[in-house]
Amino acid sequence: MKTFLSTIKFDYLQRTRSYSFLITLCISLAIAYTFVPEPNASYSTIRISDYVGYYNAAWFGYVTAIMTSVFLSLIGFYLVNSGIKADQITKIGQITAATPVSNFRYLFSKVFSNFLILSTIVFIIFIMSIILFFLYNEGFPFELSQFIVPYLLIPIPAMFFIAVLAVVFEVLFKKYSVIQNIGFFFLFSTIVFSTYSDETQFALDPFGTKIVMHQMEESVKGILQVDDQTSLSIGYVLGNVQKPKKFEFNGISFPISFLISRIAWTLLGMILIIIISPFFHRFKIKHKSKITNTIPKIFNKKEAKEIVLSNLSKPEIDYGIFSLVKTELILLFRKGKRWLWVINLIGMILLAITPVEIAYPLILPILWFLQVHRLSEISSKEIYHNVHYFAFSSHKPLTRLLTSQIIAGIAIILFLATPLIIRLMTIQEFSSVGFIIIGAVFIVLLASGLGILTKGKKLFEILFFMITYANINKIPFADYFGGLNHSSNYIISLIIVTMTLGIIGFLTRRYQLRKQ
Amino acid sequence: MTLEIQNISKKYNRNKYGLKDFSITIEKGILGLLGPNGAGKSTLLKMIATVSKPTQGVIILNKNNIVKDANYMRKQLGFLPQDFGVYPNLNAFEFLEYIAAMKGIGGSNLTSKIEQLLDGLNLLDAAKKPIGSYSGGMKQRVGIAQALLNDPKIVIFDEPTVGLDPEERVRFRNLISDLAQDCIVILSSHIVSDIDTIADQVAVMKNGSLLSYGDQEKLIQLVDQKVFSITIEKDRLTHFKNNQIIVSTSRKEGMINVRYISENPIEHSIPQQANLEDAYLYLTKRN
Repeated sequence: MKTFLSTIKFDYLQRTRSYSFLITLCISLAIAYTFVPEPNASYSTIRISDYVGYYNAAWFGYVTAIMTSVFLSLIGFYLVNSGIKADQITKIGQITAATPVSNFRYLFSKVFSNFLILSTIVFIIFIMSIILFFLYNEGFPFELSQFIVPYLLIPIPAMFFIAVLAVVFEVLFKKYSVIQNIGFFFLFSTIVFSTYSDETQFALDPFGTKIVMHQMEESVKGILQVDDQTSLSIGYVLGNVQKPKKFEFNGISFPISFLISRIAWTLLGMILIIIISPFFHRFKIKHKSKITNTIPKIFNKKEAKEIVLSNLSKPEIDYGIFSLVKTELILLFRKGKRWLWVINLIGMILLAITPVEIAYPLILPILWFLQVHRLSEISSKEIYHNVHYFAFSSHKPLTRLLTSQIIAGIAIILFLATPLIIRLMTIQEFSSVGFIIIGAVFIVLLASGLGILTKGKKLFEILFFMITYANINKIPFADYFGGLNHSSNYIISLIIVTMTLGIIGFLTRRYQLRKQ
Repeated sequence: MTLEIQNISKKYNRNKYGLKDFSITIEKGILGLLGPNGAGKSTLLKMIATVSKPTQGVIILNKNNIVKDANYMRKQLGFLPQDFGVYPNLNAFEFLEYIAAMKGIGGSNLTSKIEQLLDGLNLLDAAKKPIGSYSGGMKQRVGIAQALLNDPKIVIFDEPTVGLDPEERVRFRNLISDLAQDCIVILSSHIVSDIDTIADQVAVMKNGSLLSYGDQEKLIQLVDQKVFSITIEKDRLTHFKNNQIIVSTSRKEGMINVRYISENPIEHSIPQQANLEDAYLYLTKRN
């Protein structure tokens, strides 16, 4: 037991002592700050028709717990879904595989480590929710139990479920991170959008949020004295100009079936780990074994040759970036499995044949999101692959190499959008074409900038996922490619943000090159 | 061609130095850098290669301060880092083309040059296979090829023989000797035999400082008349180790034959011919 706990402890410490975790924590805090809007804010997070709760302890506790459960389930998976892969990259996995540790114990330690990481963020948000209560206090008394109970019953079991899912996906889909990302995307959407008709069915909700939202709806129905469905909105809705009416929400008394279900979800997670344990690869992953076998024997002693320096051709000076852009394109093109290009091709066909109203706001962001693995390490791959000694000692690495990476990224993203761009040009929607180009530049500069800042790819992957999720839900401020109608001020703001991202990326890389 | 390293230091925090007040002048030929792990060899080489910047001091190449004008060095540099990586999805040919583009070289001769390098390093048959499928030795040879792409005038090899088999090491030594006709070649290792057969000059480092610098004869002179061998019983070895600098030990008929360095040899010891390894151990273990 002691060794098991030590494994979890050191894995947790190793993963939390990273720059990307720190940034994720900061972003989580910033987002948590918006979970309960400031009294005069022009947005809402949870609203039932025209109603929100009085700003008492229960409202703060339950609303932030619900938001945490949904928000962290969304991004938490992407934050922790590479624990096993990290062991593979650092070769710790091979050492672990040579020890007597069982598959189940190893995977279970990963689940706990994932869970601890997510729980750390939950705890930070929990503290933030109490601070928010005192910041926006409307004279209601502080009740600690109204914070502890919802957090214990809603996000904590949900985080355990997400921690299990991350390990299950990693084991079942091994190195196919794209399948993990897309698979979870659909699973999450299914869970969030599923509806339940009676109270016992709330037990089927792994995130544990629906029962509370149902109770809130019932309270408002009681005030309005209607039986029809009220319009409940969860998530960020901007421009609520009309000040909401208030209703009293004092928390809920959770039915026993719900309490049992939260424990059941945890047990189910453990059972899942037991079931998948035999399928764990235990780091016996073969990399391109077919290719290795086809390499000819080149160590034939009779044929061994030597370099004769005087016979070598003389190269010419060429400071152009065409060759760099070409290789960056090859690297982007070959990233991931080849069959992913079949999906890209299907996406491009859909962009060509579906109505523009669907192709533009829905298919385009999804198609671009499918390139997340290509874009996420566009400017951090030198460090990831340990090629940075060559890259950083090359001729003008900032203006030549970084520029080439960005150009290649924009080219491949725009190439995917070509069918839509052609259609928009034929119907003379030139402003939309311009918006798509700005969107391509934006997303590539975001990937590049965050990669340079964090020297990793996680933060961009999480943000891109959130942005795409917001795009599909047609949330206006996340629309970076013009899928929705916008004012000219919005376009100007987007251009300024895009330029700022580019400047931040260049300045940070310049600083890194100077401070090595 | 002269490379002057003047009083450079690399400070990591208030008390930790990677390199401290290091000065050396390097002329055309082969400089062998010797030192135990953590001596500061890689730190020094990264600063010469402009990958890292010194906290203090200057590095002058032909009267140009490369700390301020890194591109002057980069144009004529060939650098093989100790722990480098590759893009596994590129083949050797594409990878070398990519590095060439980063170095700012191209033209019609580039393809034939890459082919000649790959052929000379016995990689031509595998040149179109992804580097991700290469063995450690093959990757190391790709690293050597990239260092030679731009006809460098300064060539830096940091632990270059890692992963090479004995025959490849011999071929590599020949290549370095050939290179040294026109270039400054700096070669680091903690294996003395990698250095002693080819280096014109040897610098011994420890804890970020230069312990000694000169030709091999000068260094060997430091241990002249100080190297001995003696056969002792096994149980005396621990006591012996605590009082002498041991170079090597070997078993002989239940006894231990010890080669050691001392200014006051033990009775019945036999004087031995000193070599570079003796000098290296004497310098690094003395303090």
